[in-house]
Amino acid sequence: MRSIIERFGTAIAGLMLIAFFLVFAPNFASPTNLLNVVKDTSFLAILALGFAFALTVSELDLSIAEVASLVAVLVGWMIQSKVDPWLATGIALAAGAALGACNGFVVTVLKVPSLIATLGMAAIAKGLAFMITQGVSFVGRWPTGFTGLARGMTLGVPNLVWFLVAATLFAYIFLKWTRTGAHMIATGEADEAARLAGIATKRMKRLGLILCGLFAGIAAVLLAANLSSAAPGMAGDYFLYAIAAVLLGMTMIEPGKANVAGTVFAAFVLKVLGNGLVLMGVPYFVQDMALGVIIIGSVAFSASVVKRAAFKV
Amino acid sequence: MTASDEPIYALRAVTKNYGAVEALRGVDLTVFAGEVLAICGDNGAGKSTLIKIMSGAEEPTSGTLRLRGSDVRFRTPQDALQQGVATIYQDLALAPRLSIAANVFLGAEHLRSIGLPFLKMLDKARMAREAQGYLERLSVKITDVSRPVERLSGGQRQAVAIARALRWNADVIIMDEPTAALGVKETAQVLDLIRHLKSEGRTVILISHNMRDVVALATRIAILKGGRKVHELVNEGLRPDDVSHLIMSAPEAA
Ligand SMILES: Nc1ncnc2c1ncn2[C@@H]1O[C@H](COP(=O)(O)OP(=O)(O)OP(=O)(O)O)[C@@H](O)[C@H]1O
Ligand SMILES: [Mg+2]
Repeated sequence: MRSIIERFGTAIAGLMLIAFFLVFAPNFASPTNLLNVVKDTSFLAILALGFAFALTVSELDLSIAEVASLVAVLVGWMIQSKVDPWLATGIALAAGAALGACNGFVVTVLKVPSLIATLGMAAIAKGLAFMITQGVSFVGRWPTGFTGLARGMTLGVPNLVWFLVAATLFAYIFLKWTRTGAHMIATGEADEAARLAGIATKRMKRLGLILCGLFAGIAAVLLAANLSSAAPGMAGDYFLYAIAAVLLGMTMIEPGKANVAGTVFAAFVLKVLGNGLVLMGVPYFVQDMALGVIIIGSVAFSASVVKRAAFKV
Repeated sequence: MTASDEPIYALRAVTKNYGAVEALRGVDLTVFAGEVLAICGDNGAGKSTLIKIMSGAEEPTSGTLRLRGSDVRFRTPQDALQQGVATIYQDLALAPRLSIAANVFLGAEHLRSIGLPFLKMLDKARMAREAQGYLERLSVKITDVSRPVERLSGGQRQAVAIARALRWNADVIIMDEPTAALGVKETAQVLDLIRHLKSEGRTVILISHNMRDVVALATRIAILKGGRKVHELVNEGLRPDDVSHLIMSAPEAA
């Protein structure tokens, strides 16, 4: 009984929150609204899964939102310049991974704690995004070959949902069922023990940060495609949400560990919370405060790994 | 006594300097196949340093290592592991929150094909089964190998660490103070584990401060002082006090 509460307590609370809004929030239960919540969850969950990869190897990546904004601007710029959408997308994802690799290099080779390294990267990415746009945003009539990535449907299901499902399955299978995933987890759990067992721990740390950058890139491309526009700072709103999703996710299913199912479910719950509060006419700033409480509460509750990752400075 | 006359592992004139500190000053040591060799000495005598060199964690400043008759040079513990030399470190080097099975197979997981050319999956069922098997071979009663190691007792953790050495099929097992943090009952359990390893014909090199354990288990005893080997004796009719006396009375190295 106790372990059920430990593993599913916050998940059950999340379900009750959803039930509450289903009953009391006007229009919440309408199919259009629910679909919008799910679509909005996709950007957030993909970004959060990236953060979870970094946390799995016991590193923090505070640059996710600025990296995502930069990649969005990059892909917007290319689309605006009539680059083939597939090529533009490929380059954008590679850029995300490359920025993650830079974080990995700074953390594992220059030995700068990730808290600091990725904070620096956030500032650099922000600057680069402004440099590319010269302060304006890219908007226009973008080819459907690109916007369709986010706005299209496949087999009657929105593409965003497919991307969410694919990202979730990839992350889950990779971490739970592959050797590299097991080595990443071991590296995050016990760096020295993993090294002594012959695991290439530095490579695993770099890989965690690269995957984080890659996922930020995927979220960015989808975000730009969905809005047909790109501007510096456009992913900024997702920053605290993504961190909150991972931390809240760590309170459920596998308590104390960044886990895929918890992260995705928590991302959905957070989006439900935001949406439901708005529909009930609660002022916007309440959302921010609720987010803050969730972040602090989650870490206090079970996310001891975060404390370790953040304070080994 | 199953020990043979054939040296399995030999060190010649091994020195190790840490800056100005001479942790080892020309140590010769021969380890015979199937024996339990205890390495004793006061704090700072150089025991851990010696073991780090034998296990590949450190390279000697000078001197040579011969394993099964050929010269070896270990750059990492992994190199040593691949040649059948496994080390159980003082702090055990386990990942506390990972399962028993995950710890036994840490860094050496079993994979199975799922019919795709480039993708192999962890064979968790096989790892669980084999981890269970190793523990049973060590006569340790742990029924659920999916439990995290942090929930185990000190003696059980020691067993998990030994099971990992068995997984590597190591025939030379080095243990740094395996009973240091344990209670009476757990110590007895670990001593049984070591006897078990010996009965399987494995070679055990053991550091211990506990002379009763040493006298109870060792076939031979090497005593270090100030980075030199000052005694090497067969454990026959020795009492714990005799060994303590030898450690204390050895002349300080010049
Ligand atoms: N990494 C290091 N850097 C500098 N000096 C070291 C290092 N490791 C060991 N030493 C020194 O080498 C000497 C031998 O140390 P070692 O740890 O081998 O002793 P020990 O016999 O294992 O002692 P204990 O019984 O306390 O574990 C000591 O003087 C120690 O201070
Ligand atoms: Mg020592």
